[in-house]
Amino acid sequence: MKKNRGKSVFIVACVLISLYFLYPTYKDYKFGKELRNLNSADSLKFVDEHGSDLRDARTKRIKLGLDLQGGMRVVLEVNTLKLLEDLAKNKDDLFNSIMNEVRAEMKAAGDQDVIDILQQKFQARQVRLSRYYGSIRDSDNDIVSKLRDESTNAVDRAKEIVRNRVDQYGVSEPSIQKQGARRIIVELPGVSKEEEVRKLLQGTALLEFKLLIDPEIALKVYESVDKVLAGKPLADSLTADSSKSLASKSSTAKTDTAKSAADSALANISDDKTKALEQAKKDHPFFAIANPFQQEGQAWSGQLYSAEEDRARVMRILDQPDIKRLLPSDMSFTWSAKSSFTAEGKPFFALYAVKKNPELTGGVIVNARATIDPQFNTPIVEMEMNGEGAHDWARITGANIKKRIAIIMDNACFSAPVVQNKITGGRSQISGMDNVEEAKLLEIVLKAGALPAPVEIIQQATVGPSLGEDSINKGIWSATLALALTVVFMIFYYRSGGMMADIALFLNILFVLGVLAAFQGTLTLPGIAGLILTVAIAVDANVLIFERIREESVTGKSLMAAIDAGYSRAFTAIFDANLTAFITGVILYQFGSGPVQGFALTLMIGIVASVFSAVVVSRVIIETMLERGKHVSFG
Amino acid sequence: MRFFRKTSIDFMGKRNMWYTISITVIVLGIASLAIKGFHFGIDFIGGTEMIVEFKQPSDVGKIRSMMDGAGFPRAEIKAYGNANTVLIRTESQAEGTTVGDKIKAELNKTFSGDSPKVLQEQKIGPKVGAELRRNALLAVVSSLIAMSLYVAFRFKFIYGVGALVALFHDVMVTLGLISFLDGLTPWTNFEIDQNMIAAFLTIIGLSMNDTVVIFDRIRENQKIYRSMGLMELINKSLNETLSRTIITSGTVFVITLILFLFGGEVNRGFAFALTIGITTGTYSSIYIASAIVLDYTNRKLGKVKQPVVTGKPSYETLNQGR
Repeated sequence: MKKNRGKSVFIVACVLISLYFLYPTYKDYKFGKELRNLNSADSLKFVDEHGSDLRDARTKRIKLGLDLQGGMRVVLEVNTLKLLEDLAKNKDDLFNSIMNEVRAEMKAAGDQDVIDILQQKFQARQVRLSRYYGSIRDSDNDIVSKLRDESTNAVDRAKEIVRNRVDQYGVSEPSIQKQGARRIIVELPGVSKEEEVRKLLQGTALLEFKLLIDPEIALKVYESVDKVLAGKPLADSLTADSSKSLASKSSTAKTDTAKSAADSALANISDDKTKALEQAKKDHPFFAIANPFQQEGQAWSGQLYSAEEDRARVMRILDQPDIKRLLPSDMSFTWSAKSSFTAEGKPFFALYAVKKNPELTGGVIVNARATIDPQFNTPIVEMEMNGEGAHDWARITGANIKKRIAIIMDNACFSAPVVQNKITGGRSQISGMDNVEEAKLLEIVLKAGALPAPVEIIQQATVGPSLGEDSINKGIWSATLALALTVVFMIFYYRSGGMMADIALFLNILFVLGVLAAFQGTLTLPGIAGLILTVAIAVDANVLIFERIREESVTGKSLMAAIDAGYSRAFTAIFDANLTAFITGVILYQFGSGPVQGFALTLMIGIVASVFSAVVVSRVIIETMLERGKHVSFG
Repeated sequence: MRFFRKTSIDFMGKRNMWYTISITVIVLGIASLAIKGFHFGIDFIGGTEMIVEFKQPSDVGKIRSMMDGAGFPRAEIKAYGNANTVLIRTESQAEGTTVGDKIKAELNKTFSGDSPKVLQEQKIGPKVGAELRRNALLAVVSSLIAMSLYVAFRFKFIYGVGALVALFHDVMVTLGLISFLDGLTPWTNFEIDQNMIAAFLTIIGLSMNDTVVIFDRIRENQKIYRSMGLMELINKSLNETLSRTIITSGTVFVITLILFLFGGEVNRGFAFALTIGITTGTYSSIYIASAIVLDYTNRKLGKVKQPVVTGKPSYETLNQGR
């Protein structure tokens, strides 16, 4: 026992860690099962009660690939040729004819870089690139490197545009990744409405500058909404003064509500508190889900905050006919693109009331750049407009000093800076970002309105949910059958040794799934096949060892000595054999895509786990049993 | 219990017969590949593919005429899994996903009473298809080379060569069989797609695994029985590892067979390739990889100038030669 104490501890630790990582998957499965048994009203309540638990389990579980879950996978590629066309100024017939040549060349050559072809064609005709791009003093090489930058930036821009729209669309667990220099992979589980998604992914982004509605007016409107919802008559004393005092009252009440809500979520809820909470909800049905979070003694900033899942409800309320009547005709609403903060484990989004008609659209922006303010060492974004835009911008900013202008892309607000002074000349600076990433995002957004990011779908796969379910059932069923047969055979053929091997086999599967969960890996159909193969590899390692032990004991060694020799002699074979298999896994992961990578990943994890479980785990179990005087046989 | 007591099969003695059989199978396979070829999956050729489920058994002829009418004359239409489900595929390319949309619109129009349900849709652009094809080839070739190099490094150069030939043999036999059986029965509709490439790489991995175990034993025995002839030594090693070979390969065979029979349509091609691959992989470790090591070593021994004793020629005979 002493000899193996360290190893035993290590094995137990591995098991515990695997179980720890797998627990969310189990919980998610259990929640899913309970939810399916409940009717819609009860399930809403259930979600309310277990909100953060549910979310937690969901994010930490082993994810199912699109082939198992159903959904869409779309690969977008930035169309560099189109980008070059869009970027060019003063396009004339010459330009168009060169572009047609480039297009023809691309079809013929296939893989060649578009910008290279463009440069060649321009050189062939002895036309300088500066005729259409950059400024007159730029050399061709300068322009080529600028164009290259543009094409890389276009991917980031397209990715941000897509992410924004997907977020708006409300897909759970979308995955949006850049692949290589020009591609974006979008995975949308559980989505099968292709046309909607396609519209979502393509098309130019719409960037708008909209004035925020005055906070005081907005608050008055919100209060009347709240009252109507509560069934109270609209107070006729809607004068500025009284409403202001009302506002502060109601909003302090609100902060209390939020606090007590947090308390109740945390632990034992005393009856009083629940009652107070219920009462507050009844009194202020609107503010209960769209909280102004006003601080005492400070002017209200003008936005309401709602938890992620309440957003749709808030919008529904604001769209009700009886509520709509209360809203000024030029008032519209837009949510913040990113959550503003997290409370009670839920992300909260800001709701801005803005003027319906934009003051400006993004077409006037010439350039935007995220940088660091040298004076205060804080991240800022510089924005430059063309002459026409600058003229309007001066008028707009001049008329709205100390008011806020929302920067909105595809109906999501990315920033709502306060106008400090009249900005003439078209150069503005936006500050107040929390970090550089935020500034970078704003830069991308500002550019998205002006600069094109033409993408096309080059690959799309949609798996209907029923096919996914069918696959998962068949996959799991056959895996179980294969596993069961293997387990029975091992016991039948190697007796108690086989039993140890089986235990090691189960631990092996546990480890693989545990690692998969820890790395937030995705289980695909080929992944299940990889898991089955892992079982085969683990069995092979044990077979190698046990056959060796049998051989050694034939030569007259004692059982203990035979086991010792068996394990050590079999090791080189196991090592070499598994390393070669591991090489395949690495190569497969390198060259494969999507589901095949899933297979390669499970295979690699499986190889490591199976060598560990066969060489270490089964040995420790066998030796421990022998030390305790139990009989071990290898058939 | 055990299936094999001590065996002493003369594996290497009959290697020429097995060479002949292997070459015949591969030649037949190549013939099938040349005449019949195989189907590339949608991910390698590019185009649009759709799996559609109807409420009633589907009318392939009607779908075909519908596709012809829609402007996709060379579309491929075949049953998928059961009688109600059909796979429709066309290599036509158009911007975005317009091909798929058009097919769906036509389906809804032609089979309006049946409300066809699209279970799966896939669109692969022409460039992507070419790229995936290149990647797949690269993956297979580089894994063949990487593993052979590893074996050549861990053992001796010729062992690497033997392993490489054996792996190549397995890939060719499996590919030939896939080509031959494709479409012969309702259960054997195969396609070379990305999953199939994964299967091939797995076959390569498993076959290599088997080969390495045998080579390992040969290496070990060479240290113990220094004076033993190589043929005898290889035979001894093969017999010693036979039990393990059969047990492991048998287990994997059963596992992949289960996957083939019950794993569903999606996994079928994959599992079939594995079932064939595990069989030929086991065989090739013995009759190709080990046999090549033996033959090469024998030939090298034969070429070595060995001292010979002959009767000293007399002076006259030498003179006569002049």
